[in-house]
Amino acid sequence: MANSNLPRRIIKETQRLLSEPAPGISASPSEDNMRYFNVMILGPTQSPYEGGVFKLELFLPEEYPMAAPKVRFLTKIYHPNIDKLGRICLDILKDKWSPALQIRTVLLSIQALLSAPNPDDPLSENIAKHWKANEAEAVETAKEWTRLYASGA
Amino acid sequence: MEGKIEENDEKVKTIRSIIGFEIPDSEIMEVLIEKNNDIEGAINHLLDFLMPLIVKKTVTSTGVRISGPVNQENGEGKNVFDVRGAKGVKVDEEIEVGIDEKRRKEEESKVLDGCGANGVVGELDLGCGMVNGVMVNGEMEVGINEKRQKEEEMEVLDGCGANGVVNGVKVDEKIEVCMDEKRRKEEESKVLDGCGANGFVGELDLCCKMVNWVKVRKETDVCIDEKGQKGEECDMDIEGKRRKEEGKKVLDECGAKGVSGKLILGCGMVNGVKVKEEPDVSINEKGLKVKEEINEFVEVKGRQEEEKKVFDVCGTKGVVDKSVLGSEMVNRLKVKEDLDVDIEEKVQKEEEKKNFDGRGAKGFVGKVIKELVLERWIKPPKSNPHIDMQKPKEEKELKMVKFKEEPVLCVEPLSSMPLSKQEYNKLNSSNNSLSTVVIEDGDFPEDSDWLLVGRTVVTGLSTTKGRKLENNEIVHFSFPQPGSSKNSSQWGGSRAAIAAASSIVRFSTKRSGEIGRLPMEWAKCLIPLVNSSKVKVLGRCVAAPVNLSLMQELMLYVSFYIDHTVFTTCDKSSWRLDSPSQIDTTTYPLLTLFKLLKVKPFQNAEFTPEELDSRKRQLNLDSDSNEAASLLSVAKRRRGCQPYSEPNKDEQVISEASLNKLVGSVDVYDLKEMEAPDTLMCSLRSYQKEALYWMSESEKGAGVEEASKTLHPCWAAYRICEERKIYVNIFSGEATTDFPTASNAARGGILADAMGLGKTVMTIALILANLGRGSPDDQDIVMEDADETECATKRISYTDTEVSRKVKGGTLIVCPMALLGQWKDELEAHSKPDSVSVFVHYGGDRSNDPRVIADQDVVLTTYGVLSATYKANNENSIFHNVDWYRVVLDEAHTIKSWKTLGAQAAFTLSAHCRWCLTGTPLQNNLEDLYSLLCFLHVEPWCNWAWWNKLIQRPYENGDQRALKLIKAILRPLMLRRTKDTKDKDGRPILVLPPTDIQVIECKQSEAERDFYDALFKRSKVQFDQFVAQGKVLHNYANILELLLRLRQCCNHPFLVMSRSDTQQFADLDKLARRFLETNPDSSTQKAPTPAYVEEVVEGIRNGENTECPICLESADDPVLTPCAHRMCRECLLSSWRTPASGLCPICRQMLHKHELLTCPSANRFRIDVEKNWQESSKVSKLMDCLKSIRKSGEKSIVFSQWTSFLDLFEIPLKRKNIGYLRFDGKLSQKQRERVLKEFSETNEKTILLMSLRAGGVGLNLTAASNVFLMDPWWNPAVEEQAIMRIHRIGQKKTVRVRRFIVKDTVEERMQQVQARKQRMIAGALTDEEVRSARLEELKMLFR
Repeated sequence: MANSNLPRRIIKETQRLLSEPAPGISASPSEDNMRYFNVMILGPTQSPYEGGVFKLELFLPEEYPMAAPKVRFLTKIYHPNIDKLGRICLDILKDKWSPALQIRTVLLSIQALLSAPNPDDPLSENIAKHWKANEAEAVETAKEWTRLYASGA
Repeated sequence: MEGKIEENDEKVKTIRSIIGFEIPDSEIMEVLIEKNNDIEGAINHLLDFLMPLIVKKTVTSTGVRISGPVNQENGEGKNVFDVRGAKGVKVDEEIEVGIDEKRRKEEESKVLDGCGANGVVGELDLGCGMVNGVMVNGEMEVGINEKRQKEEEMEVLDGCGANGVVNGVKVDEKIEVCMDEKRRKEEESKVLDGCGANGFVGELDLCCKMVNWVKVRKETDVCIDEKGQKGEECDMDIEGKRRKEEGKKVLDECGAKGVSGKLILGCGMVNGVKVKEEPDVSINEKGLKVKEEINEFVEVKGRQEEEKKVFDVCGTKGVVDKSVLGSEMVNRLKVKEDLDVDIEEKVQKEEEKKNFDGRGAKGFVGKVIKELVLERWIKPPKSNPHIDMQKPKEEKELKMVKFKEEPVLCVEPLSSMPLSKQEYNKLNSSNNSLSTVVIEDGDFPEDSDWLLVGRTVVTGLSTTKGRKLENNEIVHFSFPQPGSSKNSSQWGGSRAAIAAASSIVRFSTKRSGEIGRLPMEWAKCLIPLVNSSKVKVLGRCVAAPVNLSLMQELMLYVSFYIDHTVFTTCDKSSWRLDSPSQIDTTTYPLLTLFKLLKVKPFQNAEFTPEELDSRKRQLNLDSDSNEAASLLSVAKRRRGCQPYSEPNKDEQVISEASLNKLVGSVDVYDLKEMEAPDTLMCSLRSYQKEALYWMSESEKGAGVEEASKTLHPCWAAYRICEERKIYVNIFSGEATTDFPTASNAARGGILADAMGLGKTVMTIALILANLGRGSPDDQDIVMEDADETECATKRISYTDTEVSRKVKGGTLIVCPMALLGQWKDELEAHSKPDSVSVFVHYGGDRSNDPRVIADQDVVLTTYGVLSATYKANNENSIFHNVDWYRVVLDEAHTIKSWKTLGAQAAFTLSAHCRWCLTGTPLQNNLEDLYSLLCFLHVEPWCNWAWWNKLIQRPYENGDQRALKLIKAILRPLMLRRTKDTKDKDGRPILVLPPTDIQVIECKQSEAERDFYDALFKRSKVQFDQFVAQGKVLHNYANILELLLRLRQCCNHPFLVMSRSDTQQFADLDKLARRFLETNPDSSTQKAPTPAYVEEVVEGIRNGENTECPICLESADDPVLTPCAHRMCRECLLSSWRTPASGLCPICRQMLHKHELLTCPSANRFRIDVEKNWQESSKVSKLMDCLKSIRKSGEKSIVFSQWTSFLDLFEIPLKRKNIGYLRFDGKLSQKQRERVLKEFSETNEKTILLMSLRAGGVGLNLTAASNVFLMDPWWNPAVEEQAIMRIHRIGQKKTVRVRRFIVKDTVEERMQQVQARKQRMIAGALTDEEVRSARLEELKMLFR
């Protein structure tokens, strides 16, 4: 199976994720594919996502850690850097990937992204526009969405 | 045709009245239509573009003159062309180009560029101008007969002042150009036919120009006049064809196309025109038959460019021949002048600054090239072109057009504004100012600084005419300045044209200005000479014609002087052309001058370039072609394999056998023996005595007496005025007045005896035989001059005083560091005590006083010291401040790269005799040899231009003569014997105890085997990946590393676990310092803070092994980045996209592989080898061998290429209490000497562990008789070298060589690769084959 030849680094990371989880983040590997993680991130406090529980999926490609993990939101979220498919615009997941980064650091970065949306580098044009034009209203929408889709139900 | 006009008759009339001169109605109509019937617009347009204009072009001695619109203000009535009399010269002395313009029509633009008259310009030397429908005459006259115009023209022409030339019919001048113009008929165009005539220009001598559908007939006067006055005829027949371009109406045709041909060299071409050129131009004019000897026939087709009709028309394309002389071409519109057409008119002169009054005509006078493009059109009333000319008030327009590109010229009208009378007059009057200067015909002042070279009559050609010269009148020469060509290049002149233009020498008189120019051959050699300010030229006219005509031959009596300083300085560059493109030149102006002056050397050089270069010459050398072929392959292979960076760059790639082929090894040298000096404490073998004899003789040169009277073979001796002798090096172009004796020729040579024959001893014998001191007095200066300038790459000139300031020294021996001690020992051991003083100039306590070392008989130093001092002090270094008697380069191939500092340092040493000792005069490349010849100052081969021309390039191109030549060069210079060389009686010259070479095959233990297999599998996967990607050769270094691990594994698995680099930073403080020092320099790089560095260093100090951030394991073979991050080497490297560099995973700083530091640690092995010691199969086998030898008391040397293996091997030796010594690169020179000494003396320590690199060269290890080669090296030659350390003179026992090979491993396959390599060296493989061979080799290893 895919798990048979799992690099030691992934095993190690997994162990650490499980034994010392980062605050507000949980990640657990899928049972049939140790490269596939189910992730939950709590909306950071003082952000429009506060109170939300966001589900993500994370997959470690074959080349990992030389290539970045693939991560995407499963929970609908109103965020200028996340599109409706849940794809995330985050440099470390793309060209800024470094093998010294880990699953944990990636997830922490995503969590930080929730705290600090960056409408200047948008993935979702509409939301970004909204954000720029009327941030308060956009934040409201984000809160609304958080309530609607990420309320933990 | 006038149909359209009717419609707007009124408007046309209005316009006409405003403009005030006649423009064909059709023209006006066109404009009107174009301007949408806007009268004003049309008028402006007409004024702007259509103004008629006459341009007069004058070819004067300096070139062509174009006069602006010709005014009648001169009052000459119709004599329009009088104007030309600029310079107060008579009108008829200039060639004028009249242009009659026709108007062209261009459909798209209705403008007329067409105007077409085009001036053309004449050329150069002789140039004659030509013209268009109008005429010109000069000495060459161009009569143009326009049919239409015939009647009227008479006036014009007359007016023109042509001497009554008319219609090409009558010309009293010698050259006539008749142009018969046909009128074009163009149905559609209303235009003017007139246009048609096109100018053209001929160069008589050189160029002929062409014409348009006009015919021109030209006769040069040199030649002829019609009346048959003079001898040869030059006729040019040009038959222009009319182009037919259906699509276009008009003008194309008009387009006369200017062409220029060069007779001599090229021919110009033209559009739509055909030009026939004959060197003697014969012209067939309609109906007229003249001889046609056509040498070149050019047919040019008109361009058809629909879009630009204009240019079509005009458009001649000039073609320019690249010939030396350049040809010009012209258009009807344009004229481009190369060569010397200087545009002399002031008007033009000013243009550069002034843009020719803005009106346009802009001559571009490049200094070098003049491209002059003229567009002029005159718009005469159709019926009567002359009228124009006669009406001063009419405004004429000059347009200058410039060439944009070649060969297609685009015409761009610049500006077009009427030229005011005033301005015009001004121009004229300035031209008139030159007339009254007294004839200058006095004697030339004596000047003792200038030595007369010779005087001769030079035939110049006039470029002007009239009563301008008197007998004996002094002429002044003007030379183009170097570098002036840059200005003009922007105008797109061809390089050839630039070159041509910059190679014209004109002469003038004070009184009359420019008279003519010198022929090319003279100009070419004189320009560089004069520009070097080493030569001056004075001349006067003898036999001046009363009335000079154009292109007349003028006898000048010219004196050539050389500055006396030439003879005292040796700055060769002053004799060379300074143009970069000619740096490689092998023709030298001075020699050319001598040739021209018919100064024959009273003594010819023994070698001549012609001889060497001659294809026919068979060098009388025995050399079979096979040999050459195989050698060639070596060269090719080298070239193809530059990137083939084998791990050891110093290794010798050419095996001895191949070397013998290349440099030749004479089977029997028939040399006398010379008894060794009695201060030599050892006896010489007879071949060594021969060498001594040979070397001594070489040092003397060919007998001092004789040599000092014999001219150096590369120099020719000339006697110039007053019996002064001047010597010119025919290879380098250098000149000197000091007799270059043959003894300046390289004294010394290359002692290239194969390894082990005792080169050192022979050299010591030579030194003892003649300790020498400085250069013999009487030859000092001469020698220095010669020596220093001979050196091709670095020339310095010492003045006499400098030379004498140098301290005289004895012998300087430069050797690799490893041999320093040995030289000293041998010198001391072989010489009688106190017979020779030896001084080692090495180490920190070096003196800087040349006197200290000059006092010694022998000074020893290393290449490193030599280049270091040279680097620091250049030729003021301690070594360069001594005038050595003899310089010996041991292992002289060390300077094989002649561009390196070390080589340069050696070349510039001043010495009487020079010796190269090397067993491998040629290691990789033929160029290696060049470097040695440079050092030896062997002329002419130390001149790169010659070497490259006659040897290097031919050799690389497979020309066998190069090889023969090399052999011929080396024969007298090189002594090379091998161990197989036989003496006179056919016995080998050297009998050494035999060698017994065996391969010991080791079988790995099971554990070893497993380890090896695992490693192999891993490596193979990687290799296969490279293969699959086709990137094997790109990953050569990576693959070599894979192989390295495998090979090390064969020696001992522990080696694989050793660190890959040395503990350069074992000292942690040093490490910390490095971090803190290196980083601040670049602000972009984030330097680690001192605190962080401290922390890291502290961590390392405490032996912490941090977790690698990539694999999250405790770092394996950790490296430190410049940003002070630690991680596994492999993790880091694999995170990079390219092998050599990538980002730091932690901070993203750019890192390069070479910047990585291996984390310091106490142990170079990752495991504690002492504790876990286990013998590998090789180690066990070796121990067995040593044990059995030990009983016999023989000494053994164990070679390995890895010091880490030697480290490992020390473990069992220590454990078994076996005494051993160790010699590797870490030892200082003193330690090395001590080790070697101890090894040869002690009986305790019979084993010497030696690294292949440190001990492979030069050492004498004859104390041992057993050699163990623990690991095969890529190149067998390196192993051979190592064995030679032991198997050499002095060896009394059979030498047993054992090579260790582990079965079924990469080592075994390396053996095959070695064998293959041998074949490859010997065999002929192409580059491609070599490439694939490399791949094959690698594949073989991973099989």
